Amino acid sequence: MLCQLQFLTKNGIYDFWNWFDDRTWYPLGRVIGGTVYPGLTLTAGTLWWILNSLNIPLSVETVCVFTAPTFSALAAWATYLLTKEVKGTGAGLTAAALLAMVPSYISRSVAGSYDNEAVAIFALIFTFYLYIKTLNTGSLFYATLNALAYFYMVCSWGGYTFIINLIPMHALLCIVTGRYSPRLYIAYAPLVILGTLLAALVPVVGFNAVMTSEHFASFLVFLILNVVGLVYYIKGMLTPKMFKVAVTLVVSAGLIVCCAVVAVLVALVASSPTKGWSGRSLSLLDPTYASKYIPIIASVSEHQPPTWPSYFMDINVLAFLVPAGIIACFLPLTDASSFVILYLVTSVYFSGVMVRLMLVLAPAACIMSGIALSSAFGVFTRSIKFASIGKQDDAGDIGNGVTQNHVVKPDRNEEPPKEKASRKKKKEKENVEKAPTAAKKSERRLLMLPMEASVVAILLLVLLGAFYVVHCVWAAAEAYSAPSIVLTSQSHDGLHVFDDFREAYAWLSHNTDVDDKVASWWDYGYQTTAMANRTVIVDNNTWNNTHIATVGTAMSSPEKAAWEIFNSLDVKYVLVVFGGLVGYPSDDINKFLWMVRIGGGVFPHIKEPDYLRDGQYRIDNMATPTMLNCLMYKLSYYRFVETDGKGFDRVRRTEIGKKHFKLTHFEEVFTTHHWMVRIYKLKPPKNRLRGKTKKSKSKPTSTISKRSATQKKNPWQ
Amino acid sequence: MKTSIKLSRMAISPIHAPLLPITLLFLLSPIITHSNDLHSELIHLRSKSLLGLIHLKDNLLQRILSIPSPKPFSSLIFFDARQLHAKSENSIPSVKYEFSLLSSSYLTNNPGNNTHIFFFIIEFEESKSSFEFFDVKSIPHVRLVPVRVDDVKKDCVRMGASGFSMGAVSMKEFVETNANVYVGPIHTRPVIPKKMMMVIGAGFLIWSPYLVKRFVIGNTILQDKYVWMSGSILVYFFSVAGTMFTIIRKAPLFLMDRNDPAGKSIMFYQGAGMQLGAEGFAVGFLYTIVGLLLAFMTHVSVRLKNKGTQNLLMALGLFVSFWAVQKVIYLNNWKTGYGIHPYWPSRWK
Repeated sequence: MLCQLQFLTKNGIYDFWNWFDDRTWYPLGRVIGGTVYPGLTLTAGTLWWILNSLNIPLSVETVCVFTAPTFSALAAWATYLLTKEVKGTGAGLTAAALLAMVPSYISRSVAGSYDNEAVAIFALIFTFYLYIKTLNTGSLFYATLNALAYFYMVCSWGGYTFIINLIPMHALLCIVTGRYSPRLYIAYAPLVILGTLLAALVPVVGFNAVMTSEHFASFLVFLILNVVGLVYYIKGMLTPKMFKVAVTLVVSAGLIVCCAVVAVLVALVASSPTKGWSGRSLSLLDPTYASKYIPIIASVSEHQPPTWPSYFMDINVLAFLVPAGIIACFLPLTDASSFVILYLVTSVYFSGVMVRLMLVLAPAACIMSGIALSSAFGVFTRSIKFASIGKQDDAGDIGNGVTQNHVVKPDRNEEPPKEKASRKKKKEKENVEKAPTAAKKSERRLLMLPMEASVVAILLLVLLGAFYVVHCVWAAAEAYSAPSIVLTSQSHDGLHVFDDFREAYAWLSHNTDVDDKVASWWDYGYQTTAMANRTVIVDNNTWNNTHIATVGTAMSSPEKAAWEIFNSLDVKYVLVVFGGLVGYPSDDINKFLWMVRIGGGVFPHIKEPDYLRDGQYRIDNMATPTMLNCLMYKLSYYRFVETDGKGFDRVRRTEIGKKHFKLTHFEEVFTTHHWMVRIYKLKPPKNRLRGKTKKSKSKPTSTISKRSATQKKNPWQ
Repeated sequence: MKTSIKLSRMAISPIHAPLLPITLLFLLSPIITHSNDLHSELIHLRSKSLLGLIHLKDNLLQRILSIPSPKPFSSLIFFDARQLHAKSENSIPSVKYEFSLLSSSYLTNNPGNNTHIFFFIIEFEESKSSFEFFDVKSIPHVRLVPVRVDDVKKDCVRMGASGFSMGAVSMKEFVETNANVYVGPIHTRPVIPKKMMMVIGAGFLIWSPYLVKRFVIGNTILQDKYVWMSGSILVYFFSVAGTMFTIIRKAPLFLMDRNDPAGKSIMFYQGAGMQLGAEGFAVGFLYTIVGLLLAFMTHVSVRLKNKGTQNLLMALGLFVSFWAVQKVIYLNNWKTGYGIHPYWPSRWK
């Protein structure tokens, strides 16, 4: 990603668009313009360009670091605007304050987190705001802005499909519940037409914008909306009786046309192999789909379904407040509040399927909680404020006067401003006319709670808010502030720092040739590219399953077969991450089954059961021969027995199965201080025989530090 | 699917099904049944079943085994025991369903050329001696009788755990590699059969003008906002309860404590990566109840006229909310092992 930005700032937008990056995904290379969502890079590039043209000479890296925090501020602002449209300023401010701290979003917006989602969440909320704004005002200006915001979202993140399904759902809901209005038409039609045209301009989306069924819902609803619009138009022109006749005629004819269109659509969709849906979206609708059929999606921890503590970690006390927000949005139900309800319900469902989508839920939860908190505070503070007045003057005029203001208040946003204005005028007229009806006036009571209970309730709510702040600060500090590349562990004798990754990458960049290719599992692809500046075979952008499967197959194969695969890919070094010595659980051995599954998905000779003993994954002496002879096992546990004499793996909590073995096709060139990263070199073909017959190279030293010291020498010098 | 039920626990007793009779049967029966007759008989039997499965019994199996090698066809036998269908820990009905998918897909994919393999189901109650003969001690058990069989016990391949792991797809792979028969892609059957779908579709079409009319008038259940409200709260409850996790990972509602002789059940699982169903629902309930009570206080109890009732309801609501929040915090800290704490300025220490 950083490379992309560097390229952009150096060569300009046109070269970036046509850039073929031959350094990643070796030997395939990658057409950057056609395979990335360019939003983030273009945004950061624009920021850099603006700053530089203002004579603020920031480096590209600095801009990258601060892009995410900048956009998190913008996201809070967008949340304020959206919630204000729904339930007024108070709720808006509360929601923005909550979003500013929500741990789920902090995970993507801390300084240094340079990820698509950082800008995409802002784009998502802003698009929703503009949609609601258009819906409330019926202004074509906002409708056009809405399409542009949607375009920005499409540029930024694949999650734009959420918008293009949610808004049609809302439009349909409005129609079904009899809330159709010209404002709805203005809000929806430009978005679909302009938005789709603009989305098709983004190379990575292209014709998918009209060809895949993720987008079909929007077109179908567009069709329905036009039909409904026509019906309302005709209804306005005809007398009720004529209209009835027309309806019976048109409904019967229209239904036949509709059925034909639906049948054609269904046939079109059914003819495509995945029914037109991409794997990621399918896994949302049928939650068991991905875990069954697509290992590359199921293997990512972010794509797992969350357990209940995930909600507590990511949205914390908001989880308690959301139901109150839902109810507050139903009382009264408006177009805008029905939209946020729909947003919440869909996002909470999707977050239940995939923990990564908690990020989409977070803004919705903040908005709902903001509404809940603001309405609760409204009621409680009002009760305290007017308690004394109420006592003094039970049926007094002051109380009633104030009451009316406050009781009317919640209805303020029920109607869109234009209608609201006309209503207000009418009301004023009515008030003037009916001023003397004092009897009716006294019936309206101040909606209040007992003062003591209100004080306690406010205290408890403040306490809840305080806990939220404490939790968010704690989560930001403990979970999201530490760089994932330097690991720390707290034990009884103090803090331990594991800086093995940087050590390994530094070794690679100092001791290997610039053109050497490094193979590792895809998790470490970006890091190797960025920190070691070496060409990798696969990286974190998982667009090519076959290529990843090739690496998975190599790791799962015996040494000779693996050597052949790697050699055919021109690989010189293989990097494995091993946590058995220090107890680092997310190492390659723990990820290994996914390599087998992904490899086996493309190359059928790799079969998962061959690596399992009675369905269990084990690496001790009960492990299967295939497991003990595969490359990953050998590269991870080579010479491991020399550390403690027994070969005890601290992650798997067992002694390893095969302790003494030699490598025939690979040679160890570097192992980091804590053995967390081990780098091997492929033996050149002519040396292989020599390597086999050669006796053990050097006497192993007893301690780790000594060994790594000897290993740090470059063996080719 | 991974666990298998021991049949010995259930029924086979040594007196019931000795190995002797079936061996004798082999020896004494007129050895060569005409294989062509048997072949056409099997095709006939198969045509009776919609799914292409043949109900196998002892004598038919014995006739199949008695055909000299190489046989004209392979046989894939599913060992079934109806009495164990109710056992929830072992999803035999679903394995059987996948097996029937395999056979029906084979027939659909190879319409003119479908006599290379036959799919059988054999029932434990009727054919105990066959179970004994193949030494079937636990189910699910699927065995392939290939074309070349010199020694019945050695050459008949048993489907391993990998064959069951991904349903019909992995069974298909097993057949294609071991029997060398092309099965083709698996066709899953729609939940509702085609004819039924057409009837439903026609019914819907007839119904639709009426539905549209009702929508226009506006008194359907869909237009009642309280229905939508309860719906959204329910979706919220099920999501925060981690129900999807329970479904996808097939987590049980609760576990039985094996270390406890009294057989106490474990409702809460320690460790953030896993949760039990009941635990999820309990916490989901706590998550939801606080918001509901808050909404009740701000929207319903304000409308009450009686101060005493208001006080009582408020006190109750606040107490329950406080308890629920505090309980969730406690459970979360216990489950994940994290201690959430504030950061004070260092000079305060």
